Order: sequence, then structure tokens, then C-alpha cells
Amino acid sequence: MSGGFRELDPVIHAQARLRVVVTLNALPEGDRIAFPGLRDLLGMTAGNLSVHLVKLEEAGYVDIHKTHRGRTPVTYIALTRRGRSAFEDYTAAIRELLEAGNGEQP
Amino acid sequence: MDGDPDRPDEDLPLTPEETLRLIERQSAEATRRLTGDPLLYYWPWGLAWFAGFGALFLHYGLSGEPYAPISMAVALAVLFGAMAVAMTFTIWVSVRSGTHIRGGSQERGMMYGLCWSVGFIGVGLICSRFGRPDWLQPQEIGLLWASVSLLLVGVLFMAGAAVFREWPMFFIGVAVSVLNLIGTAAGAGWHALLVSVLGGGGFLATGVVLRRRGERG
Repeated sequence: MSGGFRELDPVIHAQARLRVVVTLNALPEGDRIAFPGLRDLLGMTAGNLSVHLVKLEEAGYVDIHKTHRGRTPVTYIALTRRGRSAFEDYTAAIRELLEAGNGEQP
Repeated sequence: MDGDPDRPDEDLPLTPEETLRLIERQSAEATRRLTGDPLLYYWPWGLAWFAGFGALFLHYGLSGEPYAPISMAVALAVLFGAMAVAMTFTIWVSVRSGTHIRGGSQERGMMYGLCWSVGFIGVGLICSRFGRPDWLQPQEIGLLWASVSLLLVGVLFMAGAAVFREWPMFFIGVAVSVLNLIGTAAGAGWHALLVSVLGGGGFLATGVVLRRRGERG
């Protein structure tokens, strides 16, 4: 039944991580966002967001850059090129599923 | 396991429809919050132009007779006061929306902001050099300042549109440029009227339209 379809990327196919990736994808390429800014945009707890970011980093989808502003440590996050294209593939796969299923649910 | 305890359903599988809706909603929301509320950019300037050029128009009148007892000094105080408030507000909004962002767009924003400063220093120097009371009528001095300033505003909107790839901004630049040319040809009173009603009013309308579009996603 699903033989002809692309597999959905399991790293992205989890609601919370999908929201993280979508949000990072909204940044223009070449920009990074500070951790507190991303947390506010998503309305997640810091701990929860960290867990998801680590998974995304392991997959090579996000780049986590730790630096200092004055004496305060700041973490900047950006989607990698690989992350961007994984998200494009994921969206394309979802659209394919929608067209094929045409509203028919399992 | 890694779901938020407050939202236990966070990692439940979604149907493709739900997933696509989530992507669209989250993407619109993120873009809206990253770029800032268009109303906050357009309304201060819309109000400043409407009030400031409105006061100038009442001072000039269309046939050389003022429509209200507003002196040039009062009209200019309204215009510059309102523009100073709008500028402070714009700087505050753009600094606030960019606090958490580093990278290319920060550089673009800084260079674009400097374009306005350098440009208006030039406008000030050129207009005060040529706008001398022994050379020009008071109305013509006012029109010189207004038309050269609006020339710069129109061009910077079009150039800014190219930097940020925003078509609405480009069309605003074109509209301001056209208004400015028509108004300059017609004279100081008409120029102030057009800039107040169509320019200021146009900014107010643009703010509302862009915000609605952002909310729809």
C-alpha cells in the first residue's frame, strides 16, 4: 500500500520537532537565533527544547553554536543546509501522501 | 518520553492534513513574529505624515490663502515632532524584533538603516544651501525640502524592497515617487495635500492590509 511512497523522516515526524524545524526554516538563510528567542517563539520549556535540539543536531539538521556576549554565554541555533533540504523533502512527502490518500484515512 | 508534560499529545502521530496545517500555521506565526507587526512600522509614519503634511496643507492652502490659522512654525513643529516620535518608535521596534537574531539580516538591516541617515544628512545640507529666503519664496523653500526628502523616501523604499525582497514595499516606493512628482509639479499646497492624504493614508492602509495578510498566513 505505502510501497511507492517515500518514508517520512522520523527525526522531523514528531510534532514538537516539526515545529522547531518549521520555525528555524522561517529564518532567512545565514541567520541564527538565540536560544531564548527560539524558546519564546515556540512556547516550549527550555528543557524540552534542548532535548529536541540535541536530536536534531545528532541528525545534522541544526547547527548549535555556543558563544559569549560579554560574560554571558549565548547559544545560537540555525538550520543546516541538510536540515533545510530534509524539511523540503518531508513537506513534499506529506503533500504526496495527501494527494494519494485524497482525504482517505486509515 | 520527551514530550512536554503540559501537552501530553505533542508526539501523537498526525494525519497528513493535520501535519500540513501545523506546518503552515507555525510557519506563518514564526514569520510574523520574526519580521514584526507591519502595523507598528507603518502606522507611526502614516500618522506623522497625515498630521504633519496636513498641518502644512492647512497653512499653504491651494490658492495661496491658508485654510486655518496655522503658522509655518507650528506646522513644521507638528511635522518634525510627529516624525521624531515615528523614528524613535521604528528604531525601538526593529531593535526589539532583532534582539535574538544574528547573521546576514542583521547586517542588511544595519546598512539599510545607515542609508537613511546618510541620505537625510545630504538632504539637509543640500536644501539648506539652496533654500535661502533671498532666493526662493517661503512656499518654494518648503516644497524644496519636502520634494527632495520624498525623492529619497521613494527610492529607499524601492531599494529596501530589493534588499528584503518585499514587493509591497517596492510598490509603496513607486507610489511615493509618483505622488511626489505630481505634487511638486502642482505646487506646495497640492504637494502637502497629496502626501498627507494619499501618502499618510496609504501607510495606514498598508499597515492594516499587511497585518491581515500575515494573520491569514
